[in-house]
Amino acid sequence: MPELQAPPLVIRDLGFRYNSRRTPAIEDINLQLEPGQVVLLAGSSGCGKTTLMRCVNGLIPHTYHGYMQGEIELYGKSVKGMGLSDISRHVGTLLQDPERQILGTYVINEVCFGLESLGMPREEMIPKAEKALERLHILHLRDKETHYTSGGEKQKVALAGVLAMEPSILLLDEPLASLDPASAREALLAFRELANEGLSILLVEHRVEDVLQINPEKVVYMDNGRVTYEGDVAGLLETADYTRIKLPAPTVMRRAKGTPRKECRLAVPALDPTSEPLVSFQDVSFRYKADYPEVLHGINLDVRAGEVIAILGHNGSGKTTTVKQALGLLKPTSGRVLLEGVDTKKTTVANAARTIGYVFQSPSQMLFAPTVREELAFGPENLGMSKEMVTENVDWAIETVHLEQELPTPPLALSFGQQKRVSIASVLSMKSRILMMDEPTAGQDYWNYQSFMDTILQTPGFDAILFITHDLDLALTFANRVVVLYGGQVVADGSLHDVFADDEQLRRWRLLPTSLLDLNRKMYSRTGQFLRAETLSQLAG
Amino acid sequence: MLIAWNYRYRNSLIDRIDPRARFIFSFAVLLAATSTWNPLLLAIIFSIAVLWYASAKLSWQDTKRGWLMISILLFTMIVVNTIITGGGAGGVVPVGGQLVWPAGFNLFGRHMTFGLTVERLWFAVAQLMRILSISLVFIMIPYTMDSRAYGVTFRKLGLPDRLAYTMELSFRFIPTLARNFQVTLDAQRARGFELDSAKGGLLNKVKRIAPLIIPVTMNAIVSSEDIANAMDLRGFGQQKRTWLYELKYHWWDYVVIGFSVLLLGVILYLAYGRGMRLFEVPLWWYGLFN
Repeated sequence: MPELQAPPLVIRDLGFRYNSRRTPAIEDINLQLEPGQVVLLAGSSGCGKTTLMRCVNGLIPHTYHGYMQGEIELYGKSVKGMGLSDISRHVGTLLQDPERQILGTYVINEVCFGLESLGMPREEMIPKAEKALERLHILHLRDKETHYTSGGEKQKVALAGVLAMEPSILLLDEPLASLDPASAREALLAFRELANEGLSILLVEHRVEDVLQINPEKVVYMDNGRVTYEGDVAGLLETADYTRIKLPAPTVMRRAKGTPRKECRLAVPALDPTSEPLVSFQDVSFRYKADYPEVLHGINLDVRAGEVIAILGHNGSGKTTTVKQALGLLKPTSGRVLLEGVDTKKTTVANAARTIGYVFQSPSQMLFAPTVREELAFGPENLGMSKEMVTENVDWAIETVHLEQELPTPPLALSFGQQKRVSIASVLSMKSRILMMDEPTAGQDYWNYQSFMDTILQTPGFDAILFITHDLDLALTFANRVVVLYGGQVVADGSLHDVFADDEQLRRWRLLPTSLLDLNRKMYSRTGQFLRAETLSQLAG
Repeated sequence: MLIAWNYRYRNSLIDRIDPRARFIFSFAVLLAATSTWNPLLLAIIFSIAVLWYASAKLSWQDTKRGWLMISILLFTMIVVNTIITGGGAGGVVPVGGQLVWPAGFNLFGRHMTFGLTVERLWFAVAQLMRILSISLVFIMIPYTMDSRAYGVTFRKLGLPDRLAYTMELSFRFIPTLARNFQVTLDAQRARGFELDSAKGGLLNKVKRIAPLIIPVTMNAIVSSEDIANAMDLRGFGQQKRTWLYELKYHWWDYVVIGFSVLLLGVILYLAYGRGMRLFEVPLWWYGLFN
């Protein structure tokens, strides 16, 4: 077949404007993908990455309508006139959140879904599905219910479902976003392996540093709907704005030399280890139902004023389940949780909310008000604050997340990243004593989360802050204490320096050392604390 | 992600019957129960439904939520509508009849009269048998049917591919909605919201629950777009579909189908051919009130 000699994917002068928008989402995109290549597509939120992917996989123009220019060719053949099922034979897409992609209730059914749609006989589809599972080393999950697989497993199951259709081009939309460091690394290695087998991979990702581990052949950087850099990794490291995407710490340190020093002073009060704990977990164990397995085993943990705690742990280690106990959303099966000395079994969640402000992981599960201002006022009003106080808190909270201009906008009309910031602000406005955030950086680009974490930590008002994260660098930049959960147990609890001392130990907990951690450990004798790369660069002189 | 109902294999008689045969039986009971008001026929249908339900080995713990919903429905339809207000019986129960308390009764020292008739009370019983028969055969489906079997069952029952798969997704939509509702409730409680504080008039009550209803609804809309995209990207609906899950009839499935057809046929014959369709009150029922 002569067309197979043409490159798998060629994009020429591509532009697209959604019907609902006045300005184009992407313009003048030119890109070519060769067999066996991994191309990293980086850029901050709203740069047009998702639109570009939709153009390639056919969702534009088949599902999303608008004005399209330019040409896309698969193996030399224009996609114009191709149906979605024709495109899906060549192009496989892995969406950002596997939860949103998985359709089957069992792993094998999920993997076979595409083959069923292609009308393949049963005898043929089973070996194909098993081969896809085997390729990703998850054949043992074959007969498991998808609902009961971990975050990392879900990602692989969704990918197996795509691979079973034997596409030659893979589009991966921020596939690392919901994965713990070890799962993310496994996923990346799997992508590399697939490319080595001949697949062409277009990988959209914020976590540039992580992707560099698998040596992408080409890097494309997008900004404002246009490609602003296309070339090798070395070129990107020199040209990309290191405040916008996460580059390796040594690169940032080298490039940041001479820039003014940026300090982050924690606004929480000084730590007094003898003070009464604000929250105290006493031998807490928990199971969701009597006949379900125990998910937390004997957790002991005190949170005191002055602490900024990062909770780390693998997917499914019990981080969220633990934090929900503090607010009384879940109650221990055995043991007890004291909130300012009161057992959470003896108080209501609404009462506990005066002490703990808890930001849920997904903003779409809480936003409802007609305007951002009303959304932010909901919490403080429920707590019975005066009108003046509510206004004051709302204004402060919205400034913290840099969305002042959006106060009259309906929250549901904002982008995902902005919704996440509104959800954080809607809890900040309650001015609780303790702030707890579940994955505050999920779905945010690097600049945005660095900047709002800076602001939150530097704003006086909170006695203690606690956040759940997969991002080791976020923990070492912002926390003064780290708690590691593994399999429902606290396996480490202490200062950054102590907990992050041993690489082997970190790997066992499915956390991987980063370049920023390495740099900090090397310079610890001089700094005496863990700092971000820009600050280290000043100290290195 | 759409989650499935809490199904588990219980090694019961029902577990061994093909889902198609079970749906045919369930619809036969539905049609039979709604085609007559005759006390004897309703009692027969009700007894069959009870036996069918018992053969599924379901525990109270498994099904109590479903029964709670049905109890609310039954309470509104039967206690409020038929017994207290007398509505809902129009056109079926003849006007007039024998009063249950012809002389009235004393309540808190005051003499009361209440127009409940013996006929309307029997109507309540008949209605109860009817709704319970239907509920018994349908409520067990999500707890006793493998989540993988829905789509192919509807397909093999004659629905087109698209509709069959849509039916499968709709079944899973209900437990998913329940889970999302719980997450939103937790998120709003963490912001000091209390459900029981919904006081005041109807408008105020609706306004108070907006923080729950809006996110759950919006999520449902957004996730349906995700599901549609995920399906499109894997070529759904572009051509004739095959199904991984296999269904096989056994001899006992034919027995169940045969029995279902026979049951429906006999009931329809008696109801429409032998005049046993209309509402009537058994004589022994009057005896209870004399």
